[in-house]
Amino acid sequence: MPFAGIDIGSTMTKVVIVGEKEDILSSVIGPTGAEHRHLAFQVVDAAVKKAGLVFESLDFVVATGYGRINVPFADKQITEITCHARGVRVLQPTVRTIIDIGGQDCKGIKLDRQGKVSNFVMNDKCAAGTGRFLEVIAEALGIELADMGELSLRAETYVKISNTCTVFAEHEVTSQLAEGAAIPEIVAGLHEAIAGRVVNMVRQLGIEKDVVVTGGGAKNIGLVRAIERKVGFPVILPPDPFLTGALGAALLGRDFFGRGMRRDHKRAMEGVTFFK
Amino acid sequence: MSKGARYFAGVDVGSVSVKAVLLSRRKLLASEVAASGGNYRETTQKVIDAVLARTGIAFDRLSGIIVTGLGGGSSPFSARQVSDITCNAMGSHVLFPSARTVIDIGGQFTKVARITPQGRVADFLMSEKCATGSGRFLQIIARILQVKLEDIGPLSMESEKPVEFSTNCAVFAESETVSRIAEGAKPRDILAGVHRAMASKVSMLVKRLKIEPDVVLTGGCGEDAGLVQAIGHALGIKIFVPREPRITAAFGAACLAEAEICDLHRTCQ
Repeated sequence: MPFAGIDIGSTMTKVVIVGEKEDILSSVIGPTGAEHRHLAFQVVDAAVKKAGLVFESLDFVVATGYGRINVPFADKQITEITCHARGVRVLQPTVRTIIDIGGQDCKGIKLDRQGKVSNFVMNDKCAAGTGRFLEVIAEALGIELADMGELSLRAETYVKISNTCTVFAEHEVTSQLAEGAAIPEIVAGLHEAIAGRVVNMVRQLGIEKDVVVTGGGAKNIGLVRAIERKVGFPVILPPDPFLTGALGAALLGRDFFGRGMRRDHKRAMEGVTFFK
Repeated sequence: MSKGARYFAGVDVGSVSVKAVLLSRRKLLASEVAASGGNYRETTQKVIDAVLARTGIAFDRLSGIIVTGLGGGSSPFSARQVSDITCNAMGSHVLFPSARTVIDIGGQFTKVARITPQGRVADFLMSEKCATGSGRFLQIIARILQVKLEDIGPLSMESEKPVEFSTNCAVFAESETVSRIAEGAKPRDILAGVHRAMASKVSMLVKRLKIEPDVVLTGGCGEDAGLVQAIGHALGIKIFVPREPRITAAFGAACLAEAEICDLHRTCQ
């Protein structure tokens, strides 16, 4: 009895297939691209095949993320806030605060003792405090996004970045570089700046232990360490921080199925054949 | 060059360009604009040399110089430094005596000042936190569209269907522009959409300060007629723009230098 969760983020499309016992059968991460609909099916199909299944055998499909309306073969669309909470609950039931740093937004989610969402905050208005900020600066510095975390750990001190706006910070960073600042120290300064911004936002909810960091931002060890310094204690990282939302979506699908909801196979297949 | 005439200079060292003005009795004799580059000191010297060369006046014939702008501290010669808000207010006042609100949209900063009938600053607000209300936003989008800065205004005014951006962030708007181009949006409609986003940001700033007519728009972005129109529309008011909006602060600096030495109605005749 397989269930699929699809999380279409601004940058990546993530799919997780789970079985009856909340076990992960397979997962695939692909780029989102301009053609959400077509790609969504491709990524789901790849995940299904990886699990040794066929698409028709899926018992429930839940879509989430900012592109969730573009999944015509999904049985339900659910916000990523709810999905993240559900995904985190199975990974680490002690979590009360989720900090999610995605490609184009960042969120704080507060969970109650049952692991249900009690409150959340979000910034999707401005690139400051999102993965996009790091992406832009990495390009200006001529380094790889994936190397930023390790690179910043080499710094003994950091360069203070005073601009909030990504556009102005890019300018500031190039001037720092011209003045002879070392790249690791600049990157460490960027992590400090983002961590400060994100943690201040999440503080509106009250930060309560345990804290988990999810999304692409959790892949950046330098940023994670900076967040830990701001909150004052170690945070938890999921085994694959990209997949929390998709995992939660798949598990919610399983919950719905358990409560008697059934997949409309005929309608779902129309959605697929149309885009196949 | 009358024999007893006194000459005054103003230099505005901005984040994008350095402007110099030479005047006598509030009459503009020469002006020069150069890209700021990495060395403000050198560029400042270059623009002042240019205005002097053009008028044939020697440096030591200058009766006063005032420098202003973000890089005003790195002047190669000794000169008094005055804030660009003060200089811009004075420049706007001399050009438009009825001006009471001055909006300055430069390369990186947007400033709004309310000024007295004498051209002094009564109150001001500044936006330096976000690129959306600044000239940088236009530069970024124009670069993607491969439109020259001077063509932005005329092109955008041909738009019949401005693009509605889903974001106000310049960084997100950059990626949105790419998607819109892929969807077939025309450059003129994208530029008009950028103007609208900027105008809404600028008008928010103006309204926080309370707007009082007449409104003058200065700074390099004043050369963009499309933006001026969008801001006028957002504020519901007529906007006055100097013929060379970019040099307003430098002009005001030179006027202030002159006012320090001369009572324009009696001495310096």
